[in-house]
Amino acid sequence: MTAFVQRRPIASLLIAVLVAFLAWLILAPWPPGVTAVMGPKRVFLAAILSGVTLGALYFLVASGFTLIFGLMRNVNLAHGSLYLLGGYLGFEVADRTGSWLLAFPIVFIATALIGIVLQYVVFRRMEGEELRQTLVTIGLSIVLADLMLAIWGGRSYQILTPDFLAGPMELPLVTAVRPNGDYVYLRYPRVRIWILIAAIVLGLAMWFVINRTRIGMLIRAGVDDREMLAASGLPVQAVFVAVFAFGAGLAGIAGIVGGTFQSLSPGEDTRFLLASLVVVIVGGMGSITGAALGALIVGLTEQIGLTYAPTYSVVFTFLLMAAVLAFRPQGLMGRRL
Amino acid sequence: MNVLESAPPSTRLASVGATNALELRGVTRMFGALAAIADVTLTVRPGERRAVLGSNGAGKTTLFNCITGDILPTSGTIRLFGEDVTRFPPYERIRRGLRRTYQISLLFPGLSVADSVYLACRGVSRWRYSLLRPRAGDPLLARADELIEAVHLTPARDRLVCELSYGQQRQLEIALALAGAPRLILFDEPAAGLSPAERRELVEILTNLPRHIGFVIIEHDMDVALRVAESVTMLHNGRVFKEGAPGEIEDDPEVQALYLGGAHG
Amino acid sequence: MAVAARTRSTLPASNASVAAPALAPPWFARIPAGLWLAAAVLLTMPAYANTFILFQVFGWTFILGIISLSLMFLAGYGGMVSLIQMTVAGLAGYMVAILGPSGTDQISLGLSWWIYLPVALAVATLFGTLVGTLAVRTEGIYTIMITLAIASAFFYFTRQNYTIFNGYNGFTLVRPPELFGIDWRQPVPFYYLALGCAALCYGAVVYVSRAPFGLALQGIRDNARRMAALGYNVTAHRILAYSFASALAAIGGVLLVWQNGQIAPGTAGIPAVIDILVIAVVGGLRRPIGPFIGALIYVVLSSFAPDILTAFGLEPDRFKLIVGLGFLAAVFFSPDGVLGLWDRWQASRARRADPLTGRTR
Repeated sequence: MTAFVQRRPIASLLIAVLVAFLAWLILAPWPPGVTAVMGPKRVFLAAILSGVTLGALYFLVASGFTLIFGLMRNVNLAHGSLYLLGGYLGFEVADRTGSWLLAFPIVFIATALIGIVLQYVVFRRMEGEELRQTLVTIGLSIVLADLMLAIWGGRSYQILTPDFLAGPMELPLVTAVRPNGDYVYLRYPRVRIWILIAAIVLGLAMWFVINRTRIGMLIRAGVDDREMLAASGLPVQAVFVAVFAFGAGLAGIAGIVGGTFQSLSPGEDTRFLLASLVVVIVGGMGSITGAALGALIVGLTEQIGLTYAPTYSVVFTFLLMAAVLAFRPQGLMGRRL
Repeated sequence: MNVLESAPPSTRLASVGATNALELRGVTRMFGALAAIADVTLTVRPGERRAVLGSNGAGKTTLFNCITGDILPTSGTIRLFGEDVTRFPPYERIRRGLRRTYQISLLFPGLSVADSVYLACRGVSRWRYSLLRPRAGDPLLARADELIEAVHLTPARDRLVCELSYGQQRQLEIALALAGAPRLILFDEPAAGLSPAERRELVEILTNLPRHIGFVIIEHDMDVALRVAESVTMLHNGRVFKEGAPGEIEDDPEVQALYLGGAHG
Repeated sequence: MAVAARTRSTLPASNASVAAPALAPPWFARIPAGLWLAAAVLLTMPAYANTFILFQVFGWTFILGIISLSLMFLAGYGGMVSLIQMTVAGLAGYMVAILGPSGTDQISLGLSWWIYLPVALAVATLFGTLVGTLAVRTEGIYTIMITLAIASAFFYFTRQNYTIFNGYNGFTLVRPPELFGIDWRQPVPFYYLALGCAALCYGAVVYVSRAPFGLALQGIRDNARRMAALGYNVTAHRILAYSFASALAAIGGVLLVWQNGQIAPGTAGIPAVIDILVIAVVGGLRRPIGPFIGALIYVVLSSFAPDILTAFGLEPDRFKLIVGLGFLAAVFFSPDGVLGLWDRWQASRARRADPLTGRTR
């Protein structure tokens, strides 16, 4: 980061000012003038938090996608289908066993197994043929979408939040000041905060594994030159299969999260695939930090757009993507394509 | 090779003028902490035949890449026929008379020989975006056929490039470089992988180029290089090490120690 | 998976006219017999086919074929797999509905055809070009991703915007104009209109593929760096390729809205966008006839699969599954699509011994 500040002092200054302004907006009670312009602070805070927690969900889905493509150059456009399938399976598990938490390991293993099958049947056989891999995964997503439609139908499913996570919690963010001087704090759904915390922990763990462990070194080296690494006798294939399985498993449990936050229905697979694409375009391919940054930006843009300019929120996301493509085509944290 | 004599008169006049064909001043290119070329200054006059020699890793191909615009130098200026082209994209330099052949053939596997040469002729002409097919009497078609004849590829005219032999592909490379009205050609190891007979043919083509076309040749084969060149620049570790006439360079003891008989630098 | 399209003949030798002027066959004698037969069948089809076949099956085939042709042009000749073609077509259709007469009076302007037609084509082509300027900075899978993302942004925007695009409802009662006393929405006139446009687009692609523009595009596909070293502005060339392809897709879009009589966000939704890719790949990306073959297969499947499925006792809705499985099979076993199968069969026939003499050709 210090290198970034040194190379671009003006941009860094602007970003610092922006961050300070945002921090003030979020933390300090608003004077009447600001409320007149932007509406109630409660709405603003809710938008920001929804954006951040939506970003957490996008991060869970997109990080699997970026891991698989950025590190292994395998394009998996059935990633969205894995999300939706994970969600539906999670619903079934939670519905039958009554345990929300149990859904996570079961779905993770199920989608990871599907990921392993994909690795062997599709990506290993078509090594190096990126376009063909893409087309096969598109075909798979069509088939999977129709199968899921046949099994679960066209209605919306919602996974119920477990009791210990239900209900609102009070956050130390001030929304208003009562006439008697007492502060009013923001109340926000507890489950979303816990998902956010879990996503952050997971993200940090992934970053740590990739950048600070020997397995991570293996993965990074294998990305640069797979043949050389294979020739060195290390279990490269096993590691890559594991990475693929992990990415697929992540998509599956993201489905459970999405089913709890929002809902599951046909079309959500496309929506989350596209969200992953946009996150990866904005954040840069192959970078966990990029996926986190991209997910945060995309989530915030979407929610703030939805809150303040609902008709054009899609345009904001698209403009964001176009701007990144125009000025920095490799993404914010990506290496030169 | 009458196709090249038909270069426009303005080009030929310019070649006798005072402007240098190529002028590099202090050109440096860093890759991280490694200086592939450092502070290279050299001048090539119009019509001059220059050889750039040096051991592997001396920076010769990087030098060519900077001149053509494939990579931008970290510092320094490059002037082509008096114009500062340091920041120009490759196609702008090509349209000012620069051409290049490649060490590893960069060709179009899916196109035929005739198509490839025609494209090369089109590239520097005004109607390169034309949606109309060329008619039978199109002058560029004629010029393309003459070029194919000049590099002895007429029998293979309609064959796809992917079906050509290695030697034929190298000949096609040269035809592409001679298309349009080149004023300065960069030959990147044109003799690599050729049989002795093919080398003799190459030397013949190079020495018979019209006088207004200058060239800079990178070559490992000292015979070819010293036979076609009028002057030699030696690079070592990215820097210009020696410059002079071929005979001087051959006899220079330092050069002999470093390059001709001694260990690698 | 090689998608490089190769044009059949090479450039004429410059002295061909001098060598054998009387012996060289004129261009129409070089068209293969199969194409003449197909043309004869297509031109006389109204005589023996019913309205459903003419209007639904073939009309739709030509329209989808034109839009997929635009994808094939970019992918096969340019090496750029772009998923924006259906969106360009959708935009052209929307422009026709918005600028011309329709059942949604509160938005449609009701202008005459000689205003709305060129404007719709121009707007759609311009949109495609703009997308091209963003997409040409990327390669391979990134191009697919970005064009897919832009296509989905268009879908969501048209669904949410009510002032221009009338949101979820879209436009209805969009009809072609009555020209020369013919109602072009009747099956037989529309069939000929679509056939004519398809033939025009097909001919344009075949012609341009051997013009300097098309040749240079193929050169850029094969080796962009070398083309830059020959003096071509690769980026500008690619963007112009998007313009040409978008013009084709726009024509398809106008026909589409006329045939459907309506347009809604789902017309250019993600399933439709993917379908165009499926059609182009299954047909074959190597030659311009491929997209039309793929479109015919797709339309026949969509039209008759529900009946076939019911006949087998399966759910009629599952035809999407059949299409998906067929697409998977195609990519797995014949990545060059139907054209690839045809080429391989031709090659194996050429190698087989002549049954009369026992010699191989």
